[in-house]
Amino acid sequence: MLANIGDWLNERFGWRSVWEAIFLRKIPHVNWLYTLGSATLFVAVNQAITGILLTLYYVPTPDHAYDSVVYITTQLPMGWFIRGLHHWGASAMVILTVAHLLRVFFYGAYKFPREVTWMTGVILLIVVIGFGFTGYLLPWDQRAYWATTVGTRIVGVAPVVGDWLLRVARGGDELSAVTLARFFGTHVWVLPAALIILVGMHLYLVIRNGISAVPGKDE
Amino acid sequence: MGESDNKEEKINRSDFMKATIAGIGGLIGIAYGLPAVAYVIGPAAKQGSSDWIQLGSVNKIEMNTPTLFKAVVETQTGWIKSEEEISAYVLTENGQDYIVMSNVCTHLGCRVRWVAEQGEFFCPCHNGVFSRDGSVVSGPPPRPLDRFESKVEAGILYVKRGG
Ligand code: HEM
Ligand code: FES
Repeated sequence: MLANIGDWLNERFGWRSVWEAIFLRKIPHVNWLYTLGSATLFVAVNQAITGILLTLYYVPTPDHAYDSVVYITTQLPMGWFIRGLHHWGASAMVILTVAHLLRVFFYGAYKFPREVTWMTGVILLIVVIGFGFTGYLLPWDQRAYWATTVGTRIVGVAPVVGDWLLRVARGGDELSAVTLARFFGTHVWVLPAALIILVGMHLYLVIRNGISAVPGKDE
Repeated sequence: MGESDNKEEKINRSDFMKATIAGIGGLIGIAYGLPAVAYVIGPAAKQGSSDWIQLGSVNKIEMNTPTLFKAVVETQTGWIKSEEEISAYVLTENGQDYIVMSNVCTHLGCRVRWVAEQGEFFCPCHNGVFSRDGSVVSGPPPRPLDRFESKVEAGILYVKRGG
């Protein structure tokens, strides 16, 4: 019965060949370091699930942001758990992404034909850091406020356009409701959209080009 | 690696991996799913707090004279706290049983005032008049003053929130 439905769908979607291309592709004999990319992907999915759940209660305005976060962690069943997963997942994301990058770098896996995989990877790293930076402000507590005050000041150091960039980042001279709203919008709309597109390209290229083998001793 | 290689084995490597992945995947699904459901339905599952609101000591209530009490009621919806002041007139005819009446006129919601000289409640808006126990004497009010459910514990009078 189930197999029949599977066949029926496969005749129309051809999803089996997609499945085979993704999961039954040939890979060289590799080691555990090759799981770092998948580990990053796993945590990215964790961030998406828990992040969506957090938006059910979180409110990105100065008069409610902090209270809504406290409400999530202290009043809601499992709120501390959902927020904890998102909080620690954020750090794990950065660590795993960098570890994955290092593996690719030291194995020389960025070389032809995988240069574009590397380039999409670099943008992904920037996106991951962007998530961390914009997310850090959202609880709107003292730490968030001052970290972002300092963090945005860094763009102000850029020559010539620095001052202007600083104002764009903050949406004004000071951190305000405008800053919080644009950080939130970036965190939940702009960066996730970029992440999905880039991960799609990245994985397409990984599958298309195949995984590189572990380099030999004399390579 | 075809089926033929593993004829003797009860379960081959591929099937073992499939079962393991399904098992671990299921556990991960539960680890996310159950907390997520609790988290989403949390606010709905919470009982509306049928708190008793403390009005004050019964000592200050004079026999047969409606006495005005004020209390601040804190309500919390989600992370938003709001305060509301409620006022109620308390009447006792025997020092045992207490009638707690809302001071909100049942006509259009103005505040009624006890006028001791007349021994009646007056509503300034359309001259509604209520007697000592809240029943309508004259004017447009359609029904007696609303009453709160109340109780006395250790000399302190409480009324029930929202009723
Ligand atoms: C959100 C972040 C990222 C995710 C989810 C991700 C995911 C993956 C996955 C699942 C693979 C398969 C092989 C493996 O896991 O090692 C892979 C390969 C690869 N990744 Fe990433 N990646 C990310 C970031 C990066 C970064 C920051 C770089 C480098 C700048 C990078 C460069 C590469 C390259 C060159 C390969 C091909 C490696 C090979 O063929 O051996 N990736 N990525
Ligand atoms: S509101 Fe009291 S009489 Fe009309």
